[in-house]
Amino acid sequence: MSFEEFQNCARLYVIGALEPEELQAFEAARKQYGSAAEDFINQCYGLHEAFALSLKPAKASAAIKDKLMSMVRERGQGQSGSAPAKH
Amino acid sequence: MSAVDPNLQAAPSSGLGVQSSAKPVAAAVELAPGSPSDVDLMLGIQSGDADALSQLYDRYNGIVKALILRIIHNDTEADDLLQEVFMEIWNQAKNFSAEKGKPLGWMVTLARRRAIDALRRKQAYSRAEERLQAEPEQQPLAWVQNVTENEIRAGDTRVLMAKVISSLPEAQQQVIELAFFQGMSQREIASQTNIPLGTVKTRLELGLKKIYDGLKELKDEL
Repeated sequence: MSFEEFQNCARLYVIGALEPEELQAFEAARKQYGSAAEDFINQCYGLHEAFALSLKPAKASAAIKDKLMSMVRERGQGQSGSAPAKH
Repeated sequence: MSAVDPNLQAAPSSGLGVQSSAKPVAAAVELAPGSPSDVDLMLGIQSGDADALSQLYDRYNGIVKALILRIIHNDTEADDLLQEVFMEIWNQAKNFSAEKGKPLGWMVTLARRRAIDALRRKQAYSRAEERLQAEPEQQPLAWVQNVTENEIRAGDTRVLMAKVISSLPEAQQQVIELAFFQGMSQREIASQTNIPLGTVKTRLELGLKKIYDGLKELKDEL
C-alpha cells in the first residue's frame, strides 16, 4: 500500500468506516510507515472536530450542568467504567 | 466515481497549503483575553479541578450537544447523553494527551461514539431502519442546513467548516453523512443507498480528503 493509499484508509479508519477485510492491510501499512503513520492518524482525528464545528451549537437544558457538577462533586474522579475514547 | 468539486479545486488561491506544526492551533471558540486554553482546562480536570470541567462545559456544551443531536434526533436524549459525555470527560481525563490531539477532537470522538451506541440501541428496540432508509433522500444536506448567510462573519470557524463541507458534491455529502453521523459501514451504506460498494468507498475517500484539507487550511489561517 502506498502512503497515499494509507492516508485514504486512515481517514476512513478514524470514522470507523474501514471494512474488516481492509483493516488487515491498513494495520500492515501502519506498521510499515511507523511514526509517520501514527502522526497522520492523529491528525485525521481532527475530522471529528471538523464535523462538530460545522454544526450550529445547540442549547442544552440549564439543569444538565447543575446535575453534572453535583455528580462530579459527589462522586469524585475516575469512578466510571467506560472505556477511554481514542484520539 | 463522483466529480471533484471545482470550488474546492480552486481553494489554493484562498490560502490552502501545507500546515506547519509551528503554527498556532485554530481556536474552536473565541476566548476572552486571559482565559485558560482548552489544554489548560484539561490539565485542571486531570488534577481533579471541578471548576475546570465547569469552564470546559460552558465553552463546548453547545458544540457537543449539536453533534449528539445530529446523530440521535431527540432533544431530551441528547441532554442526557451530553451529561454522560462530560461525566466521562471528567472520569477519563487521564487518558487525554495533548500530544495526540486537541481537547475538542477528543471530546467529539467520545461524544460521537456514545451517540452512535445510543442510536444503535434505539434501533434495536424500535426497528428504526425504515426511518433511516428514507433519510438519505429526505435530508442529504441536513448537517449544513443550519448555516444561514446572515450568521456568517469573518473568521467564524463553524461557518468556514460548514462551507467546506457544503461545497462537496451532494453524493459525497450523502455517504459521509451516513458514515459519520449514522455510524454506517461502507457495506451498510451501499445496501442502504443501492450504490455500488466501490463507489461508496471512492466517494468517502474523496469527500473526507477535501474536508481534511479544508480543516488544515482553516488551521493555517487562524
